[in-house]
Amino acid sequence: MKLKHLVRLRRISQAAFLIFFLFLLVESRLPQNIYLETALAPEQDLRLGRPVTFFFQLDPLIGLSSLLSGHRPISGLGWGLAILLLTLFLGRIFCSFICPFGTLHHAVGSARPALRGSRQVQCNQKTAGQRIKYFLLTALIVSALLGLNFTGLLDPIALLFRSIALAVIPGLGAGARSIFNALGGSRSVLLSRTGYGAEEFFAPVFGYHIQAYQTAWFIGLLFLVILFLNRIRPRFWCRVLCPLGALLGLCARFSILKLKKYPEKCTQCNLCLKHCQGAASPRPDQTWETAECHMCFNCEHVCPEEALAFGFAPRPKLNPRPDIGKRALLGGLAAGFSFPLLGRLDGRIDKAPDPRLIRPPGSLAEQQFLTLCQRCGLCMKVCPTNAINPTLAEAGMGGFWTPHLIMTRGYCEYTCTLCGSVCPTGAIEPITAREKIARPVKIGSAYLDRGRCLPWSGNAPCIVCQEHCPTSPKAIYLKTDFVLRSDGKNMQVQLPYVDLKRCVGCGICENKCPVRSLPAIRTVSAGESRSSSNQILI
Amino acid sequence: MMNFNRPLTRRESLRTLFNLSGALTLTGAAVGALKSPLSAWSAPGKKFLVEAVGQVPGYNIKSLTRKAFDAAGGISRFIARGDVVVIKPNLSWARAPQFGATTHPEVLQAVIELCQEAGARRVRIADNTIHDARRCFAVTGAGLVAKNTGAELIHPRSSMMREMDLKGNLLGSWPVFVPLVEADKLINLPVAKHHSLSSLTLGMKNWIGAVDGSRWSLHQDIDESIVDLSRFFKPTVTLIDAIRIMTRNGPSGGSTADVAPKHTLILSDDPVAADAGAAQLFGRRPDQLGFVRLAQKSGLGTYDFSTLDRRRVLL
Repeated sequence: MKLKHLVRLRRISQAAFLIFFLFLLVESRLPQNIYLETALAPEQDLRLGRPVTFFFQLDPLIGLSSLLSGHRPISGLGWGLAILLLTLFLGRIFCSFICPFGTLHHAVGSARPALRGSRQVQCNQKTAGQRIKYFLLTALIVSALLGLNFTGLLDPIALLFRSIALAVIPGLGAGARSIFNALGGSRSVLLSRTGYGAEEFFAPVFGYHIQAYQTAWFIGLLFLVILFLNRIRPRFWCRVLCPLGALLGLCARFSILKLKKYPEKCTQCNLCLKHCQGAASPRPDQTWETAECHMCFNCEHVCPEEALAFGFAPRPKLNPRPDIGKRALLGGLAAGFSFPLLGRLDGRIDKAPDPRLIRPPGSLAEQQFLTLCQRCGLCMKVCPTNAINPTLAEAGMGGFWTPHLIMTRGYCEYTCTLCGSVCPTGAIEPITAREKIARPVKIGSAYLDRGRCLPWSGNAPCIVCQEHCPTSPKAIYLKTDFVLRSDGKNMQVQLPYVDLKRCVGCGICENKCPVRSLPAIRTVSAGESRSSSNQILI
Repeated sequence: MMNFNRPLTRRESLRTLFNLSGALTLTGAAVGALKSPLSAWSAPGKKFLVEAVGQVPGYNIKSLTRKAFDAAGGISRFIARGDVVVIKPNLSWARAPQFGATTHPEVLQAVIELCQEAGARRVRIADNTIHDARRCFAVTGAGLVAKNTGAELIHPRSSMMREMDLKGNLLGSWPVFVPLVEADKLINLPVAKHHSLSSLTLGMKNWIGAVDGSRWSLHQDIDESIVDLSRFFKPTVTLIDAIRIMTRNGPSGGSTADVAPKHTLILSDDPVAADAGAAQLFGRRPDQLGFVRLAQKSGLGTYDFSTLDRRRVLL
């Protein structure tokens, strides 16, 4: 194949995988036109029609860290192993041909380069900073081995998914929706029709309702900062920070696809350096850094003297050792040993869990959960009520950005089991609606704040919590009684009580309680099925 | 000819309704003179209450629905050729049909098909559900019905809620689910079931699913709220699905043990009479329901069965 074609093929592949990634991301929600073929069977499960976890399976770092930490193979682990195998033969081909985050950086970095001329050459020289990614990889893997898996915080696929799903799309969505609402509420027929029409068109991508996520501003800001780093050094993330890039770099040692250099032909024009994506020292007088090379084939493509050529080595011979650096390695080991311990210092696992830490239905016990959860945000994206949100401090330092339910924003719908069905690593187990009800899978329990409750406090009759309670028989029951009103008269009301045996902690009572800001009935994690100690009743 | 593509103002809709009802009465009388006595519209001005009961095991729900409408003069008495019909079922909960928490999909399908046979230009299904609308529409079977019949399922969206003056005793400006006020003909298609506050939820209470906003605060004066909403939303007819009724643990249910088969449909052009008729299936006297009493007092209709043209058809 001619090289010109190979570079073109790379661009096509990059575009295709980025589009496919975004397509699957957008499809990670219940579609509007979903229906069941037979409506008459009870407790059927609604499922997504697309393989939305595909990119998480393709990512060997997610598969590897889950295997090391949670001791279980994720479904579709084979895809990740295939990528590793591919890397063994062809180097970091994933970084330049497949990785959607890499493509984004590639595009941002070359759309309008911030640096020109000699500065462009300089910024593409290899630096010691590129060892940071090995430090991060070591820290993440060691920490995962010791039971705290936060690989997903820095894994490119998880990071990209989280950023786009929780920050970019909701941000654009909220902006556009405020325009449509203004149009839709207008008295002018033309404007209101335009409003509905635009929303119909727009909603399948940006969500059927306003989506908002706790700490999403920080997720979005971090994303912007990471993109901005391309102005300092092209593909800063891929070169310096990406732990997946580091893992693939290690495997590239064995690659049989090598860059052959002909220094005698080189005129030191530096075009190869100007276009190098990985800062992998492509110039013929330098030693090619296989572990840093993204296999973008730019250098050979731009070389006017044919001084560079990629080719398969006939005999297997190891490539140069990746420049990891002792300090990065030792630092990574130290950090990797420290994080799991630091993560337990706040006592969230050993002492008392946070009452607000209500995990999605089917979540594993906390310690096990933290070995698998990648904080990718897929469960949060698919949750139809927007209840599942990233944690801030609820799960302690070790559980930052893991999923939990905020019942004032949404609630867990009684027969919905979508989050577990999409979790890429099984941190949330796939359960069926039938199991969820029959076991039952409890995520917490509700309690009444009688001082705020309308009937209990003598303010007004109300039964909204009981009305919405989905269990049968209801976990919230009513007792007709008289309460004293402010005028001294007795008012007949129905007073709600919670039956903890029946309550599953779904939180719809808290969500629908007419007492706003701080509802009069609230949900806490106590009573969750996944914990043997966080219980109320014997 | 009216322009159906724009919302009606209140005055216009009243005028149209007035014209239409006059025309219909005349047509009804004329047709009645010509046709069989069953479909005759005997007493102009007198409201009707039809109770259709399926007695044969395995009866066809569509035939039962058709019979109910035929007893009231046929569907074309209510739906004219070219109408945009909006059906307001009760699809509040993502519950399978046999739990009786939502309108039976076969009844919904039958009504849609009858409207289409009568020449409706478009049939739309609109409900501002409590559970997530996508899940409600899928699980209750309404999604499948929409797909099979070609009716349009309108998903409640924020851009479809418009602040409108309900002009009620209790309720003033409130966000209203717009498609319900933009219809030529509005059919209220609730399910009959138990409710812990209003004791039953039937036709008039179904309008809580036609508004948005902080509607859970309506429960602080549920009877007045229901009557205010019924004053605002004027359906052409109310058809109450009592094929099976939820007798306890309402309004969401969740167990077939809460459900009793009644094989009944209640059809009326008087919203109060429809609710009163359905209440009897639960063994309740209409005057035991606060909102029914208040609605009659407010002049929205009557639960005095003797003043109604009352019919019972069997299948």
